[in-house]
Amino acid sequence: MSAEISDRVREIAQARDVPESKVFEQALERGLETLWEDIVLSQYFEGTLDREQAVEQVGRSKVERAEREREVVEQDVDWGLNA
Amino acid sequence: MSLVAVADAGPIIHLAEIESLALLAEVDQLYLPEVVYDELEVGGLPDGLDSIEYELVTTTMTCIEDEELDPGEASALAVSKERDAVLLTDDLAAREVAAQTGVEVHGSIGVIALGHSRGRLDRDEAASLMRTLQRETSLFVTDAVVRRGIELLDERGRTT
Repeated sequence: MSAEISDRVREIAQARDVPESKVFEQALERGLETLWEDIVLSQYFEGTLDREQAVEQVGRSKVERAEREREVVEQDVDWGLNA
Repeated sequence: MSLVAVADAGPIIHLAEIESLALLAEVDQLYLPEVVYDELEVGGLPDGLDSIEYELVTTTMTCIEDEELDPGEASALAVSKERDAVLLTDDLAAREVAAQTGVEVHGSIGVIALGHSRGRLDRDEAASLMRTLQRETSLFVTDAVVRRGIELLDERGRTT
């Protein structure tokens, strides 16, 4: 896995013509962004953050997408437990 | 009441990725449209597909045309409508089109919940598979939503 990561970092650095350190920096930023969005959406679903605050922090489209996914998961779990 | 379902490629691929295709054995009658089988064949048939029972079918209905659907999804939806079966898909757009045409539709998370309700998986195994589905497969669903699914498994599992 670590060899695969090294190979990918090297390939991305070459493709974008940036140092490998820059690739790690961007990967960290993207990863943190995803983890942050998960936290915000979890807080919204748990009721500790209201919808407008969630929209402000991660954007309307991500909140709407997560709401749709939640609806789908609820329907699926209900079905699976009762089918 | 027996459970009849038609799968498109999504749940087959995602359940295979978490080595849980066998959960589809909980479906009493599983149909796989030939178009879907051909799509799976292109990427290499998933391990475990030969261990579940399914019937390859073609649809006699005019294929449902919708620009949101690929041929496999359209064919699976047509077969579901024709045979009054549940459509199994993980594609949100396909779910919406199916709902508009009056077809009951569910996805891989529902199949895991089904495995739990039928005693094939205990609560921890079902929760673990839901997390693995989110982390290790190409199914796009946010972590927060999967956590909500596990909560529901606990809440509604107690009342069923």
